[in-house]
Amino acid sequence: MSDGGPDEALVRRVLEGDVEAFAGLVARHRDRGLRFAAAMLGDAADAEEALQDAFIRAYRALRSCREPAKFGAWFLRILVNRCRTRAATRRRSAGLFVRDEAALERAPAAAGSDPEWREEITRALARLDPLQREAFLLKHVEGLDYEEMARLTGAGTSALKMRVMRACEHLRSMLGEANDAR
Amino acid sequence: MRDDSDDPLIGRIAAELRHPVPARPDFEARVMAAVRAGPPSVPARAWTWLSEPRAVAVSPLSALALAAGVGALVIAGIWSASRSTRPGGAAGVAIEPVAAAAPSVVTFVLVDPRARSVALAGDFDGWDRSHLAMRRGASGLWTVDVPLAPGRYRYAFVVDGRRFVADPTAPPAVDDDFGQPTSVVTVSGARAAGGAL
Repeated sequence: MSDGGPDEALVRRVLEGDVEAFAGLVARHRDRGLRFAAAMLGDAADAEEALQDAFIRAYRALRSCREPAKFGAWFLRILVNRCRTRAATRRRSAGLFVRDEAALERAPAAAGSDPEWREEITRALARLDPLQREAFLLKHVEGLDYEEMARLTGAGTSALKMRVMRACEHLRSMLGEANDAR
Repeated sequence: MRDDSDDPLIGRIAAELRHPVPARPDFEARVMAAVRAGPPSVPARAWTWLSEPRAVAVSPLSALALAAGVGALVIAGIWSASRSTRPGGAAGVAIEPVAAAAPSVVTFVLVDPRARSVALAGDFDGWDRSHLAMRRGASGLWTVDVPLAPGRYRYAFVVDGRRFVADPTAPPAVDDDFGQPTSVVTVSGARAAGGAL
């Protein structure tokens, strides 16, 4: 989800009426978005739906993107919220998050990854508190710094550091043995 | 607080999670189909139709009442909006459209004596921050009249071209994904009022 010139140009083209230019933004931000949503939701179908929903919402609110060059950060914020909403809806409707076996069976298959290790990680992520999982993914997978995370999530940097620390502790506890066996 | 960035296990987990997850082949086609169905801004033709002068009178009473009520509030960002009333009617939030499905004029009002410019932005105009400039009146009272067809709209005020402020007299948009405070107004065919999402 890189920021910079291409995004700014694409956003401006869309706002000037070139609808098809939005496909360029989809192409540029799809992979990172799907990676985040898949890890956050643990379900490939849910991840795609959340990402699609985020793109559509971004398109419809594109004029409120105050810094087109930073479309990526703006879009990630929308996606984070869509993932939160989707996870909450799923919890309410089914009383579960990604801990159910059916969801784990639909867990996204990542290209070039180790399937067994991936499954272990997916199970461990599913057992994290959602806010800890979100903070961990933003920090260690997406590479955001705490200031960026604070702007994106609305949480304070201290709280975010604590969430990341707790997430890492839990992941070490859950995955240390599996990692040693590999 | 411990820095986990150098932890090899955390690094392995993160590396695994950075592998790309393949999308279904028709993902982009599905997104673009939905995108084509809903433009980011109201098309010029539709806006022209909506903004044509119409025989809908708007009482200033609600705006003035509101201004009197909040006139002491001089802190930037203290906003208020009121809705138009029937011609000759008392101040209030009800709107009686000329006919079912016809646009009703909604008067948005804010009080911000320190603002240099104020605009109204909402999903009714594609969140265009420069489209609906508000007029400054006495005591920092800013107003704008907007013809709105029946529907539910999300909106915000834009102060000095950059700061989005929600309307404190209207319900906030519950599902605010966009990082900006927004409010909601509902205009129905029979009656309209501010209302929550």
